[in-house]
Amino acid sequence: MSYTVDFLFLANYWDALLNGLMTTLGITGLCLVLGLGLGFVVALMRLSQNVVVRSVSTVYVEFFRGTPVLIQLFWIFFCLPLVLGIEIGNFMSAVIALTLYMGAIVSETFRSSLRAIEKDQMDACVALGIGGFTKVIYVILPQAILRAIPTLLSNSVSLFKESALVSAVGMSDLMYIGQNISSITFKPVEMLTAVAVIYFLIAFPLTRSVSLLERKLIHKISL
Amino acid sequence: MTDKAPFIKIRGLKKSYSPEIQVLKGLDLDMYPGDRIVVIGPSGGGKSTLLRCMMGLENIDAGTIEFDSKMYIAGKGVGKMNDINKSVQKQVGMVFQHYTLFPHLTILQNLTLAPIKSRGIPRSEAEDKARGLLKRLGLADKAGAQPSQLSGGQKQRVAIARALMLSPNLMLFDEVTSALDPELVNEVESVMMQLAEQQMPMMIVTHDMWFAKNIATRVVFCAGGVVVEDGTPEQIFTNPKEQRTRDFLEKILHTTESAA
Amino acid sequence: MSYDIDFFYALRGIDQLLEGLKITLTLSAVSIIIGVTLGFVVCLLLMSRSRLLSFPAMTFIEIFRCTPALIQIVWIFYCVPMLFNVFLDPIVMGILALSLNLIAFNAEAYRAAIQSIPKAHLDASVALGLSPLQTQLYVILPQAVRLALPVLVTNGISIFQQSALVAIVAIEDLMYMGKMLSTETYRPIETFTLVALIYFAIALPAMFISNRLEKRLKVA
Repeated sequence: MSYTVDFLFLANYWDALLNGLMTTLGITGLCLVLGLGLGFVVALMRLSQNVVVRSVSTVYVEFFRGTPVLIQLFWIFFCLPLVLGIEIGNFMSAVIALTLYMGAIVSETFRSSLRAIEKDQMDACVALGIGGFTKVIYVILPQAILRAIPTLLSNSVSLFKESALVSAVGMSDLMYIGQNISSITFKPVEMLTAVAVIYFLIAFPLTRSVSLLERKLIHKISL
Repeated sequence: MTDKAPFIKIRGLKKSYSPEIQVLKGLDLDMYPGDRIVVIGPSGGGKSTLLRCMMGLENIDAGTIEFDSKMYIAGKGVGKMNDINKSVQKQVGMVFQHYTLFPHLTILQNLTLAPIKSRGIPRSEAEDKARGLLKRLGLADKAGAQPSQLSGGQKQRVAIARALMLSPNLMLFDEVTSALDPELVNEVESVMMQLAEQQMPMMIVTHDMWFAKNIATRVVFCAGGVVVEDGTPEQIFTNPKEQRTRDFLEKILHTTESAA
Repeated sequence: MSYDIDFFYALRGIDQLLEGLKITLTLSAVSIIIGVTLGFVVCLLLMSRSRLLSFPAMTFIEIFRCTPALIQIVWIFYCVPMLFNVFLDPIVMGILALSLNLIAFNAEAYRAAIQSIPKAHLDASVALGLSPLQTQLYVILPQAVRLALPVLVTNGISIFQQSALVAIVAIEDLMYMGKMLSTETYRPIETFTLVALIYFAIALPAMFISNRLEKRLKVA
């Protein structure tokens, strides 16, 4: 083996990696919030009685689930400025692309949790004279959210992982910084491993808590 | 009993789920003050559908339901929305086979949600009433529990309490013990007996013939979407007039005996 | 708007795109075959009673599920040759990276499927006098595959989409060719739109199948 592994040099680049991680977390957090809002609205649109509203939302979800995130990102980065005639920049492109990605997968999560609420519950509302706003706010919404929480958490982990793509449009996130340092220092093994370990340390506990939460919540809301 | 005006008057009730499946085929039924009606009959005969129509859960194709001489529900034809008198609907309570408690709320919140949010009753008043009811039904210590922590029998008693919170003038019970383990049936049936003693008007669908005999003032045999026979429990169970009633009772009494 | 949409350039490069599509399809197809088979093997290791087998399997699965696919691909491209002194064809490297990722996700899908088989079926198998091997072969495996199928199809679609990431390490797949063509022709809108539509056209029938499978399972 001609390559000597030396993890000690990483100490010199710790700050840079942390900066990259902050960018990764920042962009993930921002797109998480925006994506949750978008996804919930889209889920309601897909259950709408209006054919146009339903078709538009369905096409959006299927298209974003049916194409690679990388091409979505490139389209927004390279093409959207041409279409709109304004400068967008890599940060805005990354936020738009990841929000649209998150919105599409989150809307599916909300949609299936809304559908999982049994018709029985609606009958009970009629029998108790609970209708309109009260029914949505106090009966449907809490159950939909409780059911969706585990999947939403796993959607967030997916978003966190997909955020590594923003390095491809030059955002200096964890992935980008790691790749740059590894090519400058000719130490890809140590650097890329360190980057992978950082991603892992954040994603692993979250992934584990998904199944824990699932068990807890399913027990809580099952009758 | 014929000299009194009917409390509930059902005329020509029709309900179909598709053109091929007509469940109620012009059903007529009168319920008089003081009546506790148990509806029996083969599955698919329209018993549960009748109760669901009376609650306003199903859109009926044709017919009318009057409540205390007031129009309650009127059918407007297949696929057209019914006229429902909402103020009458508020006087009807219903308990279902599968409890239908709200799984995300505590027992106390299950009881108080409708009174507070839909009837505008002050929270403290609603909670006092709820605690009183829970105590009467032997569930005082369950106020803060989640539905998932309760047994089937307890859930069903909570469901009854939840309906009683709205002080209904008619209670509908749709196979409320069918999903329960045999040893839990009694606790629910005895709550219903308590209500009977307080003269609560009730209409009950059940497969438990022994319970039917004990609680009913009238038994209605429903099959093929119409009322086939209607009489006192003694008459229906010991001396049914109609052949279809006799066949039905023979079949199920025979099965229960051989099972026992 | 100063940009005139004109698909002429993109269509002139269609041969290039089709070459790229061939690579994309090869990468996906081979990875799916490896992922479906070895995924089951890893699942068996994971569910084994021996910790010597289950622990490495679990570690493998978690590493690949909890890191971005992009870092997996980049790591394998740069580090494998350096560490092990092996220099493979880039396409083989791409297949290696994508397969490892898919194996991890499929193993998890099989595990979830096996765990959702009611325990009563195991009891019934004992009562019917089936041997443990017969039970696995005739009772567990067919049900596990049937239950896991919708997720396996979904995972297959997602590896087809993740395969676009290999463009970043310069494998000449559909994504890479699209990027090249858009730079050569200065026609990003037409090329990227066309590339996206090609991906979508291939994913759509698979998504449709996966939906159907899921519905059928729910009915059964």
